[in-house]
Amino acid sequence: MKTAIHAANLAKRYGKRQALDGLDVSIPEFAVTAILGPNGAGKSTFMRMLTGLVTPDRGTLSILGQHPSWRLNASISYLPDRARWFEWHRVADAVAWGAGLLPGFDRERALALVRDLGLDAEMEARGMSKGQEARLMLAICLARDVPLLVLDEPFSGIDMISREKIVAALIDSFAERRQTVLICTHEIAETESLFDYAVFMKDGRNALSGHVEQLRAERGSVQDVYRQLYS
Amino acid sequence: MNEVTVGGMKFSLDLSQPLYEQVLDQVRSSIAKGEIALGEKIPSVREMAQALKINPNTVMRAYQELERDQLTETRRGQGTFITTDAGKVRAIRYRLAEEAVDEFLAKLGSLGFTPAEVAAILRSKGGVAE
Repeated sequence: MKTAIHAANLAKRYGKRQALDGLDVSIPEFAVTAILGPNGAGKSTFMRMLTGLVTPDRGTLSILGQHPSWRLNASISYLPDRARWFEWHRVADAVAWGAGLLPGFDRERALALVRDLGLDAEMEARGMSKGQEARLMLAICLARDVPLLVLDEPFSGIDMISREKIVAALIDSFAERRQTVLICTHEIAETESLFDYAVFMKDGRNALSGHVEQLRAERGSVQDVYRQLYS
Repeated sequence: MNEVTVGGMKFSLDLSQPLYEQVLDQVRSSIAKGEIALGEKIPSVREMAQALKINPNTVMRAYQELERDQLTETRRGQGTFITTDAGKVRAIRYRLAEEAVDEFLAKLGSLGFTPAEVAAILRSKGGVAE
């Protein structure tokens, strides 16, 4: 299996906090990879580095054979962990905005996703619940036909029905496209059946990584492994 | 996981075991039990993945294995169908029976029973003709 993302000895310090402390990891191409770990393990720092939002203090990071850059970002569909987009938009405006601005954006697909995710094109972003907003952000991300999809916390703080809709949309997307997908989440019980590969981070490093089916055969469920590593 | 019925087949997945093997085993056993008939169409990879809420790659792998075993066949543009060859189904029934017996014998062996004692137990339960 080819590697889509390769990190070697990545480090990043914020003041006194060492967010990444020599992270080595290889993420397989065309797989759905979970980036897991407790708060402060360095997951979001790593995710942000992929799009160049954060630059490493040392180490190397190669994504689809390139260094992070604005040019490479055209190939990455990124769902940030905290953002409030589109406040002044209706759903239809958000889709038009994506079509005008985001490389690889498929407008028809975005409108279909919006419908499948239970949103109305006339709905105003301002009045949306957190779950509805998350679904809109996901629709915008999944509408892009790009090699790499990066989802930072797509499920956190979101109601059950929204989560189920998001999972269903992800499964459809995985079935239709050969895309490398990274998902960072704490909602392991509900999402672990979606993962091909998992990376468990601890104190800014890779504590364990492997193919999920192999982990199941050797150590149990992703939840079991998580408990073994962190409790 | 709770039991889910997809295309007449029953599934119950355990996240602490490889999912691919479970999907494969459970489709095989549905065929052996006749929950799905010879020649019947099975759900697409996407439908199965949606119903089981699992990665489509996992379903794909199980389907490829079924095809290699010639338990299913894919017709271009029409989908994947259970074999119409009753011999293949008979063979899978026997294979499942042998697996169950192996498991049973291994368990009794681990409890220290000899083959003669196992036979006696089976007779006492009416499991063997006199």
